[in-house]
Amino acid sequence: MGLSGLVNPYTITALDGVAYGLLLFVIAAGLTLIFGVAGVFSMAHGTLYLAGAYLAWHLGDGGWAGLGLALAAAVLIGAVGGAGLAAAVRPLTERPLDQVLATLGVAYIAADQFSTVFGAEPRSVDPPRALAGSVSLGGYQYPVYRLGFVAVAALIVVLLIWLVERSRTGAIVRAVVADPDMAAATGLRTRTTRAAVLVGGGILAVTAGVLGAPVIGPAPGVDTTILVYSLIVCVVGGLGSIRGALLAALGVGQILTLGVALVPGAAAFVLAAAMLIALTIRHRPSLAGRPE
Amino acid sequence: MVNAYLVSLAATALVMAVLAMSAQLLVGLAGQPPLGQAAYLVVGAYTAATLATLTSLGPVQLLAASAVGAVAAAVTGLLAVRVRGTTFLMVTFGVGELVHAAAGQWAPGGSEGTHTPPVIALPGLAPMVRPGWVYLYVLACTLIIGAAVTVLTRTRFALLLRGIAAHEPRVQATGHHTSGLLLAAYTAAGAIAGAAGALLVAVTRYVSPADAAMGISAIALAAALIGSGSMIGACAAAILLVAVRDWAGGLLSGHGSTLLGLSFLALAYLPRHRLAGLLRLRDRGRT
Repeated sequence: MGLSGLVNPYTITALDGVAYGLLLFVIAAGLTLIFGVAGVFSMAHGTLYLAGAYLAWHLGDGGWAGLGLALAAAVLIGAVGGAGLAAAVRPLTERPLDQVLATLGVAYIAADQFSTVFGAEPRSVDPPRALAGSVSLGGYQYPVYRLGFVAVAALIVVLLIWLVERSRTGAIVRAVVADPDMAAATGLRTRTTRAAVLVGGGILAVTAGVLGAPVIGPAPGVDTTILVYSLIVCVVGGLGSIRGALLAALGVGQILTLGVALVPGAAAFVLAAAMLIALTIRHRPSLAGRPE
Repeated sequence: MVNAYLVSLAATALVMAVLAMSAQLLVGLAGQPPLGQAAYLVVGAYTAATLATLTSLGPVQLLAASAVGAVAAAVTGLLAVRVRGTTFLMVTFGVGELVHAAAGQWAPGGSEGTHTPPVIALPGLAPMVRPGWVYLYVLACTLIIGAAVTVLTRTRFALLLRGIAAHEPRVQATGHHTSGLLLAAYTAAGAIAGAAGALLVAVTRYVSPADAAMGISAIALAAALIGSGSMIGACAAAILLVAVRDWAGGLLSGHGSTLLGLSFLALAYLPRHRLAGLLRLRDRGRT
């Protein structure tokens, strides 16, 4: 028995699901904090992932240098993109619908530019040569890059949860999520916090794009797919909650890999049911009027 | 100047106008912005396409599509009516995209879509092949749907929906079950969107999961917002947005989505509330 008894096609698929789930978490963590702190549902969040994936395709040269360069560029582009979005939604405070429209407009323009510059066909991104091979897991071949990705993503998860739940910065962010007015009254700069969370979320999303490009490669429409799945993660995990997002992301990752392998075609229904259950539990009718 | 392409574009614009009315019912009356109306459009379109193997009669397809659209909306609406405001938009967007994904898996023809024969407007007439006749059929159906929606907006039900948009706790305090009212509105909106789907099949004679794409829902919502509460306004805005996307985009070698993105940005930043206020002042001056 031992290890080899545990390794079967389903556990291999479940491992894929962990990679997918961690990828979704890194993206959705930004989305959920942006919504929690700034009240903005950023429709351009998937666009940032796609920008990172194209970045990895464009700068990747099969070596560490290319990956390093792409990651450095990702931090820069994520920061600029996040700051740009913060500046774009700033005049629209208290008009959430207009914020959605503005970010949607940005997403549309970016998607059109991407397909003009990079073409309409899907691009496949190869991982660095040092991680390109596969490793034998109890008789099954598994890509090394995906294992490395799980490790790096797990590291990001730990850092992110530490940052949000244990650090002073995180305390400020959580204070603004919980009660913006009270946070402002105690002297916290809520405006700066809002912009900072958009910048941080932008960096996370573009970095996730660079790291995730060999897993979910750049193609037109990937921005919407990523946006929807990270949105579902946010809704199931509870808007503004980082631990909820982690659990939801791992669950959604399993549904989209193991679930698809077990019951093909049922993923959409299972995800809708998960959202229904999460919303039913969280927004009970006793919270009359404004269930948010 | 007027060629077959422009005529079928005009018919597509009318389909979007019907979908915009469906979005307006939710955002204009009840104040809840939906970003997933294309899901019910595609449910209606597939219903019409499936029924087309039995009958080519357009009105039968329209009614069936409308009914199935309403059922789909009533089921998925259970999710949406639990939340309000931006979260309503997020949940409807998620549901819409899940329907989009499910259509690629389950619908006849898969992601390739399915073709349908031309529809017959009334028993005894010939199948409509020429774009001009299709346009007139779609126009007639749009006017009928528009009249029905106008009647709906004058009912007590619509007043209660406006009450939800203005101050939901007060509507609840008067003893109304607001989530139930919203679900009813969502179902009605689904029925209208399903009817739009049947009209789409009449125009394009083709349906694919791509018709459930987020872009369609976004145009419907944006048109409803430009119309700021008015059904006629939503229809006019939908026609305008289709013209921007397809006609002007065609002139600019296919950059329709950039133009659409720019229109969304303009919509967000222009002081449309003040503009709508001006219109309302003018109306008040007239009466």
